[in-house]
Amino acid sequence: MALMALATQVADPDTDALLTRLARPPPDTTTFVEVRYSTLVAAPLVASGVLEHREDGALVRRVTSPYRETTVLRGENVLLEREGSRARSFSLDRAPELRGMLASFGALLTGDRAMLDRYFSTTIGGSDASWRIQLKPVDAALRKRLALVQVDGAQDRARCFTLTEPDGDASVMALGVADRAALPASLEREELARWCSREAER
Amino acid sequence: MPTAGKGLLLVAWITVLAALGWMVERNLVVGSDLRLFMPSPRTATERLVLEEIGEGPGSRMLLLAIAGADAQAAAETSQALVAALRGSNEFHWIANGAGDLDAIPDRLLAYRYLLSPTLDEARFDTKFLQAQLEERLHDLTSPAAGFLEQWLPRDPTFELLRLLESWQPAHQPQLLFDVWFNSAGQTALLVAETRASGFDPQGQRAAAHALQRAFDEVRTDPRLSLEVSGPGAFSVLMQERTQREAQRLGTLATIGMVVLLLVAYRSLRVLVLGLLPLASAGLAGLAAVSAIFGTVHGITLAFGFTLIGVAQDYPMHLFSHQHRGVDPRDNARALWPTLATGVASTCVAYLAFLFSGVRGLAQMSVFTVAGLAVAGLTTRYLLPWLVPARGRDAAGSALLGRLWDRVASLPRPLWLGVAVGLLCGGILWLSPRPIWEDELGGLTPVPRALIERDSALRRELGAPDVRYLLVIQDRDAQRVLATAAALGPQLDKLVASGALGGYDHAARYLPTIERQERRRAALPSAPELRAALSAALQATPFKPGVFEPFLDDVERASKLPALGPHDLAETPLEARVGGLLLERDGRWSGLVTLTELRDPAALGRLAEAVDGAILLDLKQASQDLVAHQRTRILWSLAGSAVLLVLVVAVALREGTRVRRVLAPMALTTLVVLGVLHTSGVSLNLFHLIALVLAAGLGLDYALFFERAADNPAEQRRTLHAVLVCSLSTLMVFALLALSSLPVLRSIGVTVAAGVVSNFVLALLLTRPAGRRP
Repeated sequence: MALMALATQVADPDTDALLTRLARPPPDTTTFVEVRYSTLVAAPLVASGVLEHREDGALVRRVTSPYRETTVLRGENVLLEREGSRARSFSLDRAPELRGMLASFGALLTGDRAMLDRYFSTTIGGSDASWRIQLKPVDAALRKRLALVQVDGAQDRARCFTLTEPDGDASVMALGVADRAALPASLEREELARWCSREAER
Repeated sequence: MPTAGKGLLLVAWITVLAALGWMVERNLVVGSDLRLFMPSPRTATERLVLEEIGEGPGSRMLLLAIAGADAQAAAETSQALVAALRGSNEFHWIANGAGDLDAIPDRLLAYRYLLSPTLDEARFDTKFLQAQLEERLHDLTSPAAGFLEQWLPRDPTFELLRLLESWQPAHQPQLLFDVWFNSAGQTALLVAETRASGFDPQGQRAAAHALQRAFDEVRTDPRLSLEVSGPGAFSVLMQERTQREAQRLGTLATIGMVVLLLVAYRSLRVLVLGLLPLASAGLAGLAAVSAIFGTVHGITLAFGFTLIGVAQDYPMHLFSHQHRGVDPRDNARALWPTLATGVASTCVAYLAFLFSGVRGLAQMSVFTVAGLAVAGLTTRYLLPWLVPARGRDAAGSALLGRLWDRVASLPRPLWLGVAVGLLCGGILWLSPRPIWEDELGGLTPVPRALIERDSALRRELGAPDVRYLLVIQDRDAQRVLATAAALGPQLDKLVASGALGGYDHAARYLPTIERQERRRAALPSAPELRAALSAALQATPFKPGVFEPFLDDVERASKLPALGPHDLAETPLEARVGGLLLERDGRWSGLVTLTELRDPAALGRLAEAVDGAILLDLKQASQDLVAHQRTRILWSLAGSAVLLVLVVAVALREGTRVRRVLAPMALTTLVVLGVLHTSGVSLNLFHLIALVLAAGLGLDYALFFERAADNPAEQRRTLHAVLVCSLSTLMVFALLALSSLPVLRSIGVTVAAGVVSNFVLALLLTRPAGRRP
């Protein structure tokens, strides 16, 4: 009965209810595999590691394979440290697409509807077994660097974050996945998109 | 003279003064370069010191801090401020840590291969390129991919990024929102270099105003405030405080003077007439300086107007001796020998400064001599025509009569004067404490809180030391750059050992032509690079053909002529290199600025071992200069004293009279020096000037008392005159003595003490002993 109610809530696009279900109070960690599609490369690039949402609100992205790199996103500042090279720091102003990604990601982690609405117009669809939130940047400057954020998930878990840039480049971050082996053999975009939106097994 | 004639004379006088004023106003340029008050350099090192004290990057640099609201607003304002001031008239450059890839013009982009040190060690071969491409793949999956990706096809080795990073200070503050912040992350930090030298208070003030205006315009949050620190900011602050205080005290003194003169003479007309000789003196002095020197230094004016304060006394003598039945012209004629002796001896004494070798003091000499001569002559020849013949006779004052009798009956042990003189001389001679203040900063000390704040900001920003500077000199700019570059590894060692916090020099931005050519020669030919790149690409997922723009740039670089110091116009390098590599009279000076120097001796040894390099200790050097300057001034003063004695001796002829006239001022000088020293005051140039003024006043008091001799009526009139003179002077300088600023205080205390001592001693010592009324 409860599940039924939830399913209707999702089907009736109630973003608030979904956000409440997805929220994970910090500290929280999850593994991820990120697949990047760039016009410069013939095959997609893959990196995997751990995402950590710290109690102080900072988001730490730790890449463990195929190289080691730590990014601390805190407030408006990004600190990037890679093994074997000097630390680099830059602001989100330099990387608007990152700001968009963070805003959407942060909003989902904390269930912050106001934050979502500040940056995006939101459409929601699908069912409890496979839902999809599409976020279109409202701000023209952000739209130049980020065309769409798409979050695919099932029940109370987000599964994939897909960022599409206007030039066609994109990156897909699969959450709760330990390594490349868990993804489909082919990382063709359609293939991966299908994987992200597959129905959850009940 | 009929009333109409008097009116005409008054109008003519004022008209001449107005015309003179207009002429001075049009022609006179008031300079503010403090070096005018420094002795001319004797050695090449002294010349270098004088140049660097004001022109060096340390003295031009301003440290800026923006805080008061959240960090993001501070960062936005920091960026906007940099944009607003870039290319301004007041600033060479301004930096906030943002390494802007777009700031480098397109035509210079290919130069990155000649400017970056990569090719000193690496070759663009397959192995190197493969490692670089591997890194770039990681960059593509990093959060920075979004803005790095666009540079990749053109610059797969990230040479440009490496170059921009190498231009940042070694220990730069943390970056938040792309700009420098203090370690607490609340205050955005910036560094700016003014075009005006540190020795140019006017230029510094213009820069300070431009800065504040720009800040007010661009700040994104009204709560934000801008804090400016550094030598230039301090000099502006202290100058403004000094001016404000001098003006406040000056206004008070003027009011007091008006009241005093009205009480003394009970005549508005006399009050106005009393101003004419002094006004004439000031304008004549200005006109003379303007005609001879063209420019006049602000300090010349301040000192000069202090010294011609003596002239304010001249009309007083005339007024106090005026009484019914005496034609003012006869009165003036009778006073003239005494007045003329005073004027002539003071003028001759000030002439000595003309040969002090310090341009500012020579100007002061011309100013005071011209001013005093004009004041004396107008008092003698113009003023008597205008003075009302029927004045109150000071001789009729019973009060003054009683006062004189009281003074006359005082015991006057001569031995006491000798003893006091010996005591003061002995104190000065034997005291273990240095008599002189050598620090330039001692004159206008910046509040301690500001100094501490400045060093905190300096530490956070890694801004260069203002005291130490390493200078490399050569006729050839390339040799200077080569020496600077060769010093790099040794300086790095000092940094590693903790002797030094960091350093900066022109070769960090502009390598020698030879080095650039070596790097250019190390670039592979187009076919070689193409082959190496495609081999490196084999193992990567990069698409073939992606890096064509890279191949183009390298080929362009291999044909570029090396950059010299004159090729940097309108590039971000222009200001940086321009501040550190300077051409002066056909010689090149390369400056190595130092940060947090903890072991100057180690650096001194390093500099000694390098041909053409020298470590300047600007603080020590400026103290030496001040001491050197003081020696010259003291010699000038000794010359003045001799001349003064000669003039007085010629005028008075009798040995005893000469001794009686000179004794009060000589003793006063010793007493004031002794009292100042025992109360812990270190003497500076301002004390000296004030002592000269006090001596001039004392001479006049003594001359007039001596003249009054045995005539009771004349004694009372003289007492009246000297009382008015000394009280008005005392009031003005006692007010200055109350100032919180040492410059004003040192002048005020010295003159006030000198006036009191001179008045008392002149009263006691100038009358012949044994004769009582």
